[in-house]
Amino acid sequence: MIQPQTHLNVADNSGARELMCIRIIGTSNRRYAHIGDVIVAVIKEVVPNMPLERSEVIRAVIVRTCKEFKRDNGMIIRYDDNAAVIIDQEGNPKGTRIFGAIVRELRQLNFTKIVSLAPEVL
Amino acid sequence: MQASTSLFSCPLPCKSLAAPQLPGECMPFVRPIKLSWSSSLQRPVKFSSVTGLSRDLSMFSSMAFNPNVSEDTDDMYDELFEKYGKVVLRRSDKKPHSAEVDDDAESLAFAVALAKVASDVKAADIRVLFVKPLVYWTRFFIIATAFSRPQIDAIGSRIRDLAEKQYGKVPSGDSKPNSWTLLDFGDVVIHIFLPQQRALYNLEEFYANATLIELPFEN
Repeated sequence: MIQPQTHLNVADNSGARELMCIRIIGTSNRRYAHIGDVIVAVIKEVVPNMPLERSEVIRAVIVRTCKEFKRDNGMIIRYDDNAAVIIDQEGNPKGTRIFGAIVRELRQLNFTKIVSLAPEVL
Repeated sequence: MQASTSLFSCPLPCKSLAAPQLPGECMPFVRPIKLSWSSSLQRPVKFSSVTGLSRDLSMFSSMAFNPNVSEDTDDMYDELFEKYGKVVLRRSDKKPHSAEVDDDAESLAFAVALAKVASDVKAADIRVLFVKPLVYWTRFFIIATAFSRPQIDAIGSRIRDLAEKQYGKVPSGDSKPNSWTLLDFGDVVIHIFLPQQRALYNLEEFYANATLIELPFEN
């Protein structure tokens, strides 16, 4: 359940550490974003000596949420943190590696690039 | 539910013996005897296979201290084993090994055909990786370099045409040429990079443990 003003961790090596959601892309006036949704976010915290800067506005895909993610077979996945992967306008990830486990439904949502960079797919 | 009801209906005489006593009183007598536990320990395989049932059983027989209880449980176990089988060996819907090998061979032929097409359109440094042992969600990766976006477009459209005409498969993934264009055919995933992006993302290094497939044509 990501909404504007939610802070998220960054699950890649792009150089950002923390994001704040400012808008959910896709529908007008939607309240919450879930796994696989694209958000507009602002970078709140960065790793030193990396190309990304604080207060930069970027796009990101949500890959982990504390809110449970349900599958049709009854499986429920929930993570300890809210995390996102920074992407550019074309949908390519800014970082070159993804950290942590992600769900395979991202592949159906056309984020196969993120899935192929991830170390573990649930 | 069916199993548990049959289990409880069987040792009825034991229940009637235990009934006059309070459960709190009979517990200390029964624990050291452990009739039902010893019988189950002699058969570790059976015990593990019906863990859920045996828990009910041990709870129940601990309430009733009858010397015949071990025989009763043995009969009960035999009946249950006859009905449900001893252990779950494997999932019944799993494919046989030969079918999986066939599937792999089919995907391999498809991947090599696609790599051939990419090579025809002058894609450079084509690698076909067998990633099935590393990731479960696909079987083969094809990684290729193209030198301009029009060339990426040409490679992508040629691959789409061949896959659709000869194999009847339609890819998901990027529809427009992109600096990293990805075509996802399910079993085969194709990555077409510009040289800069290929060096940046360095997928070969990430999947370094995957087996490299020898291609029948020269790159």
